[in-house]
Amino acid sequence: MGELKTVGKSIERVDIRAKVCGTAVYAADIKFPGMLHGKVVRCYEHAHARVKRLDLSAAAKVPGVIKVLGPKDVTTKKYNQSVIDLMASKTEGQMLGDIEEQSIFTEHVKFYGDGIAGIIAISEEVAERAAQLVKVEYEPLPVYLTPEESGAPDAVQFTPEKPGNRAFQLPEAMFPGNALGWGDVDKAFEEADLVIEDTFYTPKQKQCQMEPNSYVALFDDEGRLNCWTSGQMPKLVHEKLSRLFELPMSRVKINQTVVGGGFGARLGMVLEPEVCAMALAVPGKPVKIQQPREEDWLTSPSRHPSRYWMKIGFKKDGTPVAIDAKSVNFKGGYYLDGSALASTTGFWLQGMYKFQNLRYKGESYFTNQPVCGAFRGYGNPQTNFVLEQMIERACVELNLDPLQWRRKWHKETGDLSWLNATPYTSCALNECLDRGAAAIGWEEKRKKYANQTGTKRRGIGVAVGNHTSGAFPMILEHTTCTVHLNEDASATVLVACSDLGQGSHTTLRQIAAETLGWPIEDVRLETGDSDANGFDIGAHASRTLYVGGAAVMKACQDARGQLLDRAARILKVNRDELDMDNKTIYVEGSPERSVSARDICRVGIYNFVDHATGLPEGEMGQIQAYVSYKPEQNSPPFFATFVELEVDLETGEVELLELVSSHDIGKAIHPAICEGQMEGGAQQGLGMALTEETYFNEKGFATNNSFTDYKMLGASDMPRMTSILVENGDPYGPFGAKSVGEAGVVTPVGATANAIFQATGIQFTQGPITPEKILRAIRERGQTYV
Amino acid sequence: MSKHFVTLNVNGEDHDVVVASNKTLLDVLRDQLNMPETKYGCGTGECGACTVLVEDFTAINSCMTLAATMDGRKITTAAGLQKGNELHPVQQAFIDKAAVQCGYCTPGMVIKSVSLLAKNPNPTEQEIREGLEGSICRCTGYLKIVEAVAAASKAMAGTAG
Repeated sequence: MGELKTVGKSIERVDIRAKVCGTAVYAADIKFPGMLHGKVVRCYEHAHARVKRLDLSAAAKVPGVIKVLGPKDVTTKKYNQSVIDLMASKTEGQMLGDIEEQSIFTEHVKFYGDGIAGIIAISEEVAERAAQLVKVEYEPLPVYLTPEESGAPDAVQFTPEKPGNRAFQLPEAMFPGNALGWGDVDKAFEEADLVIEDTFYTPKQKQCQMEPNSYVALFDDEGRLNCWTSGQMPKLVHEKLSRLFELPMSRVKINQTVVGGGFGARLGMVLEPEVCAMALAVPGKPVKIQQPREEDWLTSPSRHPSRYWMKIGFKKDGTPVAIDAKSVNFKGGYYLDGSALASTTGFWLQGMYKFQNLRYKGESYFTNQPVCGAFRGYGNPQTNFVLEQMIERACVELNLDPLQWRRKWHKETGDLSWLNATPYTSCALNECLDRGAAAIGWEEKRKKYANQTGTKRRGIGVAVGNHTSGAFPMILEHTTCTVHLNEDASATVLVACSDLGQGSHTTLRQIAAETLGWPIEDVRLETGDSDANGFDIGAHASRTLYVGGAAVMKACQDARGQLLDRAARILKVNRDELDMDNKTIYVEGSPERSVSARDICRVGIYNFVDHATGLPEGEMGQIQAYVSYKPEQNSPPFFATFVELEVDLETGEVELLELVSSHDIGKAIHPAICEGQMEGGAQQGLGMALTEETYFNEKGFATNNSFTDYKMLGASDMPRMTSILVENGDPYGPFGAKSVGEAGVVTPVGATANAIFQATGIQFTQGPITPEKILRAIRERGQTYV
Repeated sequence: MSKHFVTLNVNGEDHDVVVASNKTLLDVLRDQLNMPETKYGCGTGECGACTVLVEDFTAINSCMTLAATMDGRKITTAAGLQKGNELHPVQQAFIDKAAVQCGYCTPGMVIKSVSLLAKNPNPTEQEIREGLEGSICRCTGYLKIVEAVAAASKAMAGTAG
């Protein structure tokens, strides 16, 4: 391949100029003449109730209201707002128990803010005013905020398809004993020298992407349903909307706008069904929904709160003999990707260490809380909070160095990866640990903080993790890519991969330019148009660079090959004797024998007949390449995070001092973008460990769905950060790259908890570790610090 | 709803507009003046996505400001910072430091940074971090934004000197 020209360089991001000038167009910026405004009427009186009577008549009379819509004024077809169900075969879906039980407007309110009706009006203000005039008579139902409450024998059933309100458990047909793992756990514990167990809780964390949900839909004069959305999986939403509204896909068009962050909140649909149902009610009129921020907390899926029990056993020398675990997840009001989260939480567990015996059970129960679904890491931060604290406790009990224990017992190249099906293709975790430890001064600080006095105490903690690069071999993987070479030898690459802000449109373009051998300015990426783009899953499972990037690379290799084939016929040599320097194709060793790529591309399109010879001036046909690509590998990244902090034992406050993360990413296509993922992930992981949780009162009403009451770490709360990119090259990833997208959020969670453990001598099992919890724990232990 | 006739000077141009008394500056910029670069993030002054500059140095949340109170004021949005094709040093620094991901907070963050540097041309890292509080970014972890503001400070000192 020779020296890389574009890949590996932090070139200017392709979207950044528009973003700093404010000209990037997000869904909320879409405007059409005559556009109407939609408002979903939500239930804020109850978190669980049946709608006995809905009276929309007063709302309909408000001047400026165009239409009011009750549950029966729109399609009554049931759906599932997530798209994970599309990624399993029908048989698998049945085994997993995937269901479709959502209605556009519900008559059974299952959470605070559930949608019960719709209003279309000439302005947002009018729609809002009309919504306040909707009269509803409810039959209140008992509110269930925990799996114990909703799973009780006499509890009201959320859906007849899920008896006992158990939305999911690992199915017997796929996981005998409803458990995954290997060996004989019970027997192994009998032989263990040390057995510890505990029950943890991980919080309902919200993605808080900065762009609130906004949509425009239009049922146009051709009878097509158009939807402008900032969803992260446009092609699967295309399929979902087509099914829901029973329109052929050719009559549904998705326009993906610039996406203002996702982190999983936009995996699948949020308000696409509602806005499209409204548009269908007023054919020819565009309808816009701009969701208020406080509603985003209630309608887009959050991280699942999880109760997580774990028991682990070791030999005296640290040999990990057995691990037994069970996570019980709070599902919220609807099923969504119910089968996936409780499973992956266990996958991350079985993928990490070489435990000789392992058993994991996962379940989810409906609760009267807003829906839960995908959030960056997808169960991995939950497992990290629990597993890494348990390992830490064991190391203290066994008097082992926690870093050396991890170095010795993590899985590595060739070991079975998280699905326990395919091997890890590469692993540089030891290098991550060594470089991270050196950067933060682990040895020295760990010793220094072992003996402290005073009311402010410092701690340093480490955690390790691995993640995934795509969804293979668990669920569907597929990206198509088409490349056209234009008449001036520039390229248009059509691919539906989403850029939620992480920079994938830049990195995919780098891969295309590098593969074609042309400057990045000569490569254009065309995305976000469901007519023009072929299939792609969308952004999830940290797949875009690894799978989408490979698809782009293969299509570009094909296009380049076709170009070289034509050159070979002109120069009368074999293709493998040729090389290309920018736009000149020449015979290796004889650069004077050359042909211009521009001439080949041009004559292929402007294919005139030479009047002297009566023959075409050159080979006819625009060069196009196409791949429908399905990966046959998965190359998970490994990573380590070190966190140093100080706890004020009088106030319980935690000051973050330093964070070092090192990621084994194979190859950084764009180093600054990789660092950005790690740094941004750290902000979310530290938040999950320390401050972030959506709270509900006893009625099930959200009490902190605003940025003031839901505390995320701000610029002055963040620690010093160092990101280390470990680039050893993976044998399968494009240019050796593995994923980096989700991974950044994972290990800051465990490392923070472990640093607090060192500082205070207390392990906190209930996340987030707030000052209140720290003070209470100190008081309960009767501990005094001087 | 009573109406007010106001003149808003936005990005160097006067706009005569009739605004309802309950309309915020954000509403008027986005809906009446078709200037979507100023973003709605929360509508309650908590996230800073709607930050605009008043009289060249004061950053305000336009979602918390009634348009009727801004008669005759000079307002600058992110789209008004560049001079012709030349970006403002803060915008350029955000590009150079890759301080942007999803970009939704960026127009407000850039304006907040311009204001910060107008008041304190040579801030320490801690002053930058504190100065950016009130503007939320969920993508970057703030590091590259802080670096960009520091770089802009240097670049602007260079031009001034």
